[in-house]
Amino acid sequence: MQTVERVVIEWVEGPAPAIQAPPILGAGAVASFTGIVRPTEDHRPLLALHYSRYDPMAQRELHRIAEYALARHRLLFVQFIHSIGRVDAGEASLQLLVAAAHRKPAIAAIDEIIDAMKRDVPIWKMPVYAEDRGQGT
Amino acid sequence: MRVDVLLFGPQAAMAQADSIVVELNTVTATVSQVLSALREAAPALASSLDTSRLAVNHAYACADDYITRDDEVALIGMVSGG
Repeated sequence: MQTVERVVIEWVEGPAPAIQAPPILGAGAVASFTGIVRPTEDHRPLLALHYSRYDPMAQRELHRIAEYALARHRLLFVQFIHSIGRVDAGEASLQLLVAAAHRKPAIAAIDEIIDAMKRDVPIWKMPVYAEDRGQGT
Repeated sequence: MRVDVLLFGPQAAMAQADSIVVELNTVTATVSQVLSALREAAPALASSLDTSRLAVNHAYACADDYITRDDEVALIGMVSGG
């Protein structure tokens, strides 16, 4: 089994593709979360979200959150794939995968990592509303 | 002292700018002083500043932290990743 980095962060233009978990020595549980663009925002039909970030701070903050989760939950592996640019409604904008020796820390870590992301990682989304179509958005 | 504050996402749209220059009558300034100056320099951002933080050199800064001329300063409003 080859050695893998314990934290992997990828940014992709457009929808975030599903993560295929690499073989992780000692893992007894792999948990994942997929964030999907909802079809409405503020009760208005939504075509897409447009994601932007402040780099390198976004990368640094994701890494900090992952390192904290690795230590707190004794995780073995954390991987993010986050979208930049346009992601249509129904498409994935975030893929998060964690691996641990046991189920409970893996599942708990997913929730905590998402909460920390939404608090601290400088990523923004701008809505593209259906009603604005044809108005240059 | 001039501080160029970078703007992103909804706040860049609100200010219709990617950055705002604030002027202070000091050689150095604290984060809270820059935020106060920003409130005056960009009234369009005022409503969002209470829920915003400043990042200095790509890390969140405290209100009493000092900013110097060569620092990279960014306004981080409500973030919304995921």
